Amino acid sequence: MSRLRSQDKLKSILKDYFVCLSSPLAWCTSVGPAEILRALGFNVYFPENHGALLGASRTAGKYIPRAHQAGYDDEICSYLTADIGAYLMGETPLSQAYGLPSIPRPDLIVFNTNQCREVAEWFGFFGREFGCPVVGIMPPRHITEVSQADIDNVVGQFEKAIKIGGEIMGRPLDYGRLKETVALSKQGAVLWREVLETARKAPSPLTFWDGTILMAPIVMLRGTQVCVDFYQEMLDELRQLMNAKQAAVPDEQVRLFWEGMPIWGRLRALSDLFAENHAAVVASTYCNSWVFDCFNPEDPLRSMAEAYTRVFINRSEDAKLGILRELLDNYHIDGIVFHDSKTCFNNTNSRFNLPGRLQKATGVPSLTIDGDLNDLRFFSEGQVRTKIETFVELLKTLKQ
Amino acid sequence: MNGSFLGIDLGSSYTKFIVIDEGAIIVDAEVIPTLSRRREVLDKAMSGILSRFNIQCICATGYGRRNVQADLHKTELICAAAGVSVTHKMHKSILDIGGEDIKIIESDANGSVVDFYMNNKCSAGTGTFITEIADRAELDIAEMSTLASKSKSDRTINSFCTVFAKSEILGWKFGGVPIEDIARGIYLAVVDRVHKLPLKKGMPLFLCGGVIAHHPFLAGLLAERLQADIRVVEQPQYAVALGAARLAQEEMMSAKPVRESPWITRKLSKT
Ligand code: SF4
Repeated sequence: MSRLRSQDKLKSILKDYFVCLSSPLAWCTSVGPAEILRALGFNVYFPENHGALLGASRTAGKYIPRAHQAGYDDEICSYLTADIGAYLMGETPLSQAYGLPSIPRPDLIVFNTNQCREVAEWFGFFGREFGCPVVGIMPPRHITEVSQADIDNVVGQFEKAIKIGGEIMGRPLDYGRLKETVALSKQGAVLWREVLETARKAPSPLTFWDGTILMAPIVMLRGTQVCVDFYQEMLDELRQLMNAKQAAVPDEQVRLFWEGMPIWGRLRALSDLFAENHAAVVASTYCNSWVFDCFNPEDPLRSMAEAYTRVFINRSEDAKLGILRELLDNYHIDGIVFHDSKTCFNNTNSRFNLPGRLQKATGVPSLTIDGDLNDLRFFSEGQVRTKIETFVELLKTLKQ
Repeated sequence: MNGSFLGIDLGSSYTKFIVIDEGAIIVDAEVIPTLSRRREVLDKAMSGILSRFNIQCICATGYGRRNVQADLHKTELICAAAGVSVTHKMHKSILDIGGEDIKIIESDANGSVVDFYMNNKCSAGTGTFITEIADRAELDIAEMSTLASKSKSDRTINSFCTVFAKSEILGWKFGGVPIEDIARGIYLAVVDRVHKLPLKKGMPLFLCGGVIAHHPFLAGLLAERLQADIRVVEQPQYAVALGAARLAQEEMMSAKPVRESPWITRKLSKT
């Protein structure tokens, strides 16, 4: 049995989700307009989740070289290279886990470059492979604040996607259904925020490592009742743990923030390493990226446009600094770990001296570790261990 | 027999042992190659020390620290700060150039790490870099410092990448660049590398690690180029092991350590 009941519950939810992935089916990026696709009547599949699965199952290392052979460079997104490589080799971990013969075939592919342009190339590859329409939502990038003009721009692009999706489904979008879907997304996102916020209390009942697994429904089932119910139950469970003062990390001595992508193939090892050193990683920009505050069922398209354009990864360095300051403060953070992910430039925030500016603004020390989301050739266990153990000891000294 | 404390630094190239007595005086220092695949060499060194001294507590450090059973495992950065602080009780920076990486540690007067920087992306400027390039240039490591001191050249290797740097050196050889200039050029590349690291001003910079021990010329060159108050610690290759021994002693003084190792307990019971 898992430490949290919710982890067991998640397994059955994911099974139900994957076995139902039949046509009409749309692919979508993880912070893409999934509500529109759901309201149109599509089942929705998320290739990034598949990428993470390849990383977590440590099969990415087998598939990435196949993508290199096909002309994809070894320093570009290793979700992309792992996913394309696995496809070219005709394999997927979904077969063993859920009995799927292959990744599900799309009728429509939708991506949003709010996170990066890599998704355009990645999803474009599959559009050519499957011969299906590919619709790109391309919002203004790296913005400090979202303007009304930005929202108008993105709504216009959503409308194009709605039209193409409607043509495939043979019926126009039912706006009533879209409102319901956005209402469910909002409820899910609010609950997800409350779940994450249980970690504000010391000792925390939840860590970032739990979050990377338990976030699956807010990514893949956003806009469904299943997602809402799951997080309601999870919240109840975490509150019980809090009342019973049950800590995720026994003898929590320092509280850390993780910035950047997870290292999927080393979640367990890293979780153990921090725990051994009595350090709880209690919050992250990654998990918080699915906390959407602005969904409004009464104004579904505009509020979605705002929510998906406001995401952390799409913001300027100044805006990121502000968001991080607030999170460090809310979660009573002693130190922040930046993951410089070799193949994900977009979700690596240590390269323009944000750690330095953040430390100056908040006094919270930072550490940058080198690694990668999926390609473990860029990860050195020994060096990361040395850095983290030194950093945690330093934080303990500073706290005394 | 009075109590002693053992620090073991399992570095990427060499394993260093330091034994200190209750007054923190070094009573034994040994070094063996880490890459000797025979585990017995390590075991033999260990049992030799354990039979000669009444070891009360052991602290292991270095990349290989998890491979030996000890009472304490501490990172080499923590141990470097503790080691240099045995004799230099002041706020300071420490530059540790090792076989495979370069570290900068800011330590307070008591030997606690208050900040650090560790570059792990490549071997540029490390011991491995020097050894590989010197090898390509047919330079004897033991003579490099003497040779470099005879040169006034400002020619330096441009490439940080060890592989590219090796082909660059080949060009120098074919171009007839004097061997003294090559030796100095390699050191200048290391200094260049260090120059790009975030070194804090206003405090002395202590040098330690195997590279400084084997390349004394480097210290002078660093002082000249960095315009910093640079000091080389006594027995630089042992500074980290000394810190480990010191932390073992502190651990013993603060609380009775729990022995993790039946092997060590067994050996201890024989002494
Ligand atoms: S954000 Fe990074 S990991 Fe995600 S798809 Fe883009 S490049 Fe890949």
